[in-house]
Amino acid sequence: MRILTLATTALLALTTAGFAHAHAFLDHAEPRVGSKVAAAPTEVVLFFNQNLEAAFSSIEVSDANGARVDQGKPRINAGTMRVGVKPLPSGTYKVRWQVLSKDTHTTEGNFSFTVGP
Amino acid sequence: MSRRLLHSIALAGIVAVACTSHALAHCFVGARFLPATLATDDPCVADELSLPTVAWSKTGDFPPASELDISGEISKRITENFGVSIGQNWTSIRQADGTLTQGFNNLETAFQYQILKDREHELAILSGLIVDWGRTGSTGSGLATNYSLVTPTLYFGKGFGDLPSSFSWFRAFAVTGQVGYQIPTTSFDFTQNAFVPQQIVYGGSLQYSMPYLKSEIIDLGLPDFINHLIPIVELSLSTPVANNFGNPYTTTGTVNPGVIWVGSYFQVGLEAMIPVNRASGTGVGVLGQLHLYLDDMFPSTIGQPLFGGTSSPRKLTF
Repeated sequence: MRILTLATTALLALTTAGFAHAHAFLDHAEPRVGSKVAAAPTEVVLFFNQNLEAAFSSIEVSDANGARVDQGKPRINAGTMRVGVKPLPSGTYKVRWQVLSKDTHTTEGNFSFTVGP
Repeated sequence: MSRRLLHSIALAGIVAVACTSHALAHCFVGARFLPATLATDDPCVADELSLPTVAWSKTGDFPPASELDISGEISKRITENFGVSIGQNWTSIRQADGTLTQGFNNLETAFQYQILKDREHELAILSGLIVDWGRTGSTGSGLATNYSLVTPTLYFGKGFGDLPSSFSWFRAFAVTGQVGYQIPTTSFDFTQNAFVPQQIVYGGSLQYSMPYLKSEIIDLGLPDFINHLIPIVELSLSTPVANNFGNPYTTTGTVNPGVIWVGSYFQVGLEAMIPVNRASGTGVGVLGQLHLYLDDMFPSTIGQPLFGGTSSPRKLTF
């Protein structure tokens, strides 16, 4: 029992000691995931909880017909990835992303947001 | 050995299986993260450590005995798709008259192979062979057997994120399941003068991922703590199906409602254990676990497969 307690304590201390990297989870986005915005955004920004490898991190924004509306290569700074978008008329848009965190773990996801009154 | 103690030990075995027979892998399938479940297994191989898993419950005896189980398990990928787990469980049973029985169960290992990970459909399938090695625990106390148990097992996990967007919040649900056929290496236990049945060991989970809801469906602006929670209901059962002469073919197990908090490097789970019938226990027990993601904590050393490494990072292709 004492060994178990010591081992658990040591591992907890290790865990909370502050590791550099892990899987990158999407913390939040602008426009917000699943939101409806009145004013069309000029860019989509994703905020992750880990720093990203720019060479292997990508984002695509497409309209309801599947046509891409983003302006190509994203800009990545630490854990933030942003991409400009073309003027967006009212409608629902899908954001698909895939990122590589600094420790080489890949994560991916997609979500929608709506532009309209 | 008294009949009551034998009964207690048999039930202890059920709880011990619930505590240690699972690889508890760090499981990403596409956008879906399936947490390490406490009473059943998730459908992925990974590098992880569960320490400790603690369960407290009351047995189905008359009067019931109190049982405490403390276990640990480490899972290690040998290749990207093949992993091995080693687990050990310590049990303490206190009868109503104060009689105490303590000791280790048999050492348990699991050999698992990842058959499928379908990112698009959030589907994972895993095959495994669980072996409880006879004579590796406290056979003198009756908590471990002289014979081994071999259990070929199939696991699956499925997230519902591929449903049409009209399903909205429902897409944050996921299910996991497993079914195994447990074969003892002997048909008769002379120490207990009883047949050793072959059993189907099965279970699963229904889970609702708040992280998935926030990052894939709708960000409600909830407190950060809430966004890390995965409410879950697990079901862990076993049913004798053969070589059970003279005994009832009663299904035993528990239904476990609870919640798992998921962090970047570890998760913490807490569940109630509700017996499915009187033979499975008395009243509500508790199951808790601290689970560490070794692949995230030590990504360049023990968090890697021993051979072959992981797949090269891939460019995003839509």
